[in-house]
Amino acid sequence: MIEIQNLSKVYKLNKKQMKESKLKTPQKVAVNKLSLKAEKGEIYGLLGPNGAGKTTTLRCIATIIKPSGGKIFVNGHEVEEEPEEVRKSIGFLTSDIKLDPQFSPDYLFDFFGRLHKVPQNVLKQRKKELFSYFEIGGFAHKQIKELSTGMKQKAAIAVSLVHDPDIVIFDEPTNGLDIITAKSVTDYLKKLRDEGKLVIISTHIMSEAQKLCDRIGMIVDGKKICEGTLDEILQKTGAEDLEDAFFTLYRARCQAGKGVQ
Amino acid sequence: MSGIKHIFGKEMARVFKDRKMIFSVFVLPVVVMIGIMGLTTNMAKKQAEDIESHKSIVYIQNMPESFEKFLADNGLDYNMKQANNEAVWEEAKTEIKDGEADLLIEFPKQFEEQVASYEAGQDIPQIKTYYNPSENYSAAAYREISENILEGYRQMLLLERIGDINEVTIFTVNSDNAEMIIQDDQKASGKALGTMLPYFITILLFAGAMGIGTDMIAGEKERGTMASLLVSPVKRNAIVLGKVFSLMAISGISSVIYVGAMVVAMPKVMGGADAGFDVSLTAAQIAMLAVLMVALAFFYSAIIVVVSVFAKTVKEANTYVMPAYMLILIVGMITMFTNKEPEFSSFCVPIYNSALVLQGILSGEVTMAQYGITLGMTIVLGLALCGIIVKAFESEKVMSC
Repeated sequence: MIEIQNLSKVYKLNKKQMKESKLKTPQKVAVNKLSLKAEKGEIYGLLGPNGAGKTTTLRCIATIIKPSGGKIFVNGHEVEEEPEEVRKSIGFLTSDIKLDPQFSPDYLFDFFGRLHKVPQNVLKQRKKELFSYFEIGGFAHKQIKELSTGMKQKAAIAVSLVHDPDIVIFDEPTNGLDIITAKSVTDYLKKLRDEGKLVIISTHIMSEAQKLCDRIGMIVDGKKICEGTLDEILQKTGAEDLEDAFFTLYRARCQAGKGVQ
Repeated sequence: MSGIKHIFGKEMARVFKDRKMIFSVFVLPVVVMIGIMGLTTNMAKKQAEDIESHKSIVYIQNMPESFEKFLADNGLDYNMKQANNEAVWEEAKTEIKDGEADLLIEFPKQFEEQVASYEAGQDIPQIKTYYNPSENYSAAAYREISENILEGYRQMLLLERIGDINEVTIFTVNSDNAEMIIQDDQKASGKALGTMLPYFITILLFAGAMGIGTDMIAGEKERGTMASLLVSPVKRNAIVLGKVFSLMAISGISSVIYVGAMVVAMPKVMGGADAGFDVSLTAAQIAMLAVLMVALAFFYSAIIVVVSVFAKTVKEANTYVMPAYMLILIVGMITMFTNKEPEFSSFCVPIYNSALVLQGILSGEVTMAQYGITLGMTIVLGLALCGIIVKAFESEKVMSC
């Protein structure tokens, strides 16, 4: 289970960054008092436009960056107090994290398995299962740098799941993948959900979120603007699909913002 | 501990599973180093042979018959040209300046008469020689003729004048003393070693780790592969130590290979054991060297990692690490050309102290206090740098690209 309580993340900006971001203050609020709860056995989707704070939120959960405020509990472990325990229970995948191009998927699977202290016999079994599912066998011994984007992504997914984590956090998992590979990834996420694991994904592809996610949290400018199942969101907004629902909420927020100004 | 072991193993695999990497890190520098040394020695040898085989072109003014006979009697064959008038004299000077002639000898007029009629109190006749020290042939002709042959000619004339030359010799110095050198051969060979090796060891320890170290940290950040380690459940200090230890091992292995290759190949390449590389170290010296080299490899690896961790790209890291490398080069040079006995306070200066101690171990002159403080300081500084690296690994600002 993941519980986020009033998460804030503020980046300090230098003059160059202020100029680039067209901001007058030397601070950028990436996440603003965000709270959410995701339970095991569900796929929770963080939905929002680019720069909304989805990836920052996921990076805070994965202990790569530290929250400026608020608390995050992962399976009962607070991210700042017990980062190693948090990292033990999650499988994290984002486009920023890449596999070492000099090594093969086979070597890296074993390497990360050993870092996660996966027993040798279990590691062998996990490799067989994941390499077979993602059809990695054909390129398992090739160097990562020799692989196509799709192959790299499959290898990265397999490696991130080596320790059979309770919680799987994938940041835009189908980004850059062809339709067949993307389908195999989303099907695997459903399989993990069905096995009772918690899957959190971030995406800006509405159709993907609509088909895949059990619950959705919409984020705009670092703030959660809506949360619920697909039906709940459609009912609340009176929209026909998730895309319409998102734009209804987005426009309402923009108008409210103008009103405040 | 297991995290350190796995990270160490991966970094070693990065080098040792890649043939190109093995060749570029361990083989190529040795080949290049020995090749350059061999080429330089060979070229210097050829140059010496060429100078030796060159028949010197010597202009001579007022050549006495006795000198001509002296040259002929001793089988000395030069390309002699008379310079008895002003025009030829000037031409000779120009040719020497241009490197076309080698030496100009000026005998006084009636030299033989002056020598023969000399009486006590009279001016001594002077032979003047002119040469061009920036031309190899001319410098060699000066050394041979002005310093040796004219001295032989003087001895001959002296013999003619006084009959028994021993009457004016009074005493000789070491003309028949084969045992004049009293030294500990081991210490002497150590002195030669002690001059060269600390310089090479300190440089090679650093250079061996430099390229790989910057790639290991800044390269991983740049490629986005460091983040995959940061989301694993391994503690940050285990990642740091795994990387520093692997860099230490690579630096140690490469420097052992380089120094070993140098000790084995240099006498052959540079011509004989007299090149000053006769190695005969005691077990204690070897142990002291080994322990210090391990500590130095640790310290240098930590320097490279601490520099790389604050860089965003490999290029940036290489720029940052260069001043540290230059410092080590310069400090090594200082110890190479210092003869003065170092003061105890010198052993408290990091980097410099290790070069001094390496020199001291090889010449057998280091004290345990000097060794202890150097070793301790090297390890403590290495650990302090590791502390900084761990802090940097925990900083999202430093670790994000």
